[in-house]
Amino acid sequence: MILETLSIIFLVLGAFFSITGAIGLFRFPDFFTRVHAASITDSIATLLIIIGLILRTDFGLIAVKLLFILIFLLLTSPTASHALAKSARHGGLLTMAETRDDKNKEAH
Amino acid sequence: MDKKTIIYLSVWAIVLSGFWLLLSGFLKPLLLAFGLISVTLVLILLHRMDNTDTEQQKLALNLSFLRYIVWLLGQVVSSSLSVTRLVWGNKKELRPAIGKLPIDKIPQKSRVLYANSITLTPGTLSIDIDDKYVTIHALNDESIESLKHGDMVDKVYDEYKGAQ
Repeated sequence: MILETLSIIFLVLGAFFSITGAIGLFRFPDFFTRVHAASITDSIATLLIIIGLILRTDFGLIAVKLLFILIFLLLTSPTASHALAKSARHGGLLTMAETRDDKNKEAH
Repeated sequence: MDKKTIIYLSVWAIVLSGFWLLLSGFLKPLLLAFGLISVTLVLILLHRMDNTDTEQQKLALNLSFLRYIVWLLGQVVSSSLSVTRLVWGNKKELRPAIGKLPIDKIPQKSRVLYANSITLTPGTLSIDIDDKYVTIHALNDESIESLKHGDMVDKVYDEYKGAQ
C-alpha cells in the first residue's frame, strides 16, 4: 500500500517532468536551448518513471531489467544530445549568445 | 596469453554471464548453452579487439565510481528543477551563454565521463570537445560559472584516482 502510493507519486512527478520537457521544446527559442528542454525528459523524467515502475514490481528479475534500462538510458541519452549539438555546431549553426554578439558588433 | 590477460578475460566472462542470466532468467540447458556460446563469442571478439587497439578497458565498478554516480544524480535533480522553473517561468530569464572549460588536466579516460556528466545535467550541454577545451552551452551564465568554479572536475578526478 505504501509502495503503491510512493510509486504513484514517482510516476506522476515523472509525467510532470516529461510534459515540462515537451513544453520547453516548444517554448524555447532556438535549437540549442531546445536540446536543454529535451534533456529534462531524458534525465529526471526517466529516473522518476523507472523508479516508480520498479516499486510496482516484486523486486525480482523485472526490477533488475528496469534498472538496466535506466543505466543504458542514462549512458546513451547524453551521448545522443552531444552528437546532435556537435553536428549542429559543425554544420555552422550559431548559438543565441554568438548571434547576439554579432548584432552588437554590427551596431557599433 | 599471460596471467594478466586470463584474469582480465575471466572477470569479463563472469560479468557477461551474470548479465545474460539476469536478462534471460531461464535455466533450461538449451538456453544456457546459447548463453554460453554468446558469452564465448563476445570474449573472443574482445580479445581480438584488445590485440588490435592495445587499450584494455577495465571495468571501473568501484566505490568511488558509485559515490560519483550518487552525487551526479543529486546534481541532475537540482539542475532539472532550475530548468523546469525556466520552462514554466518568464521567457526573459533565459540568457543562453557559451563558454570553454579547460580539460587538459583531466586524464584522457575521464574526459568522456566529464563531458557526459555535463550533458546529463539539464541546463548545461557539451557541444564540442578537443584536446584542450570542452565547449559548453548553458541556459544562463551562472551555470557556466558554477562549472568553472564548481567541484565536478574535482569529483571526476577523485573518481579517476579511486579507479587506479
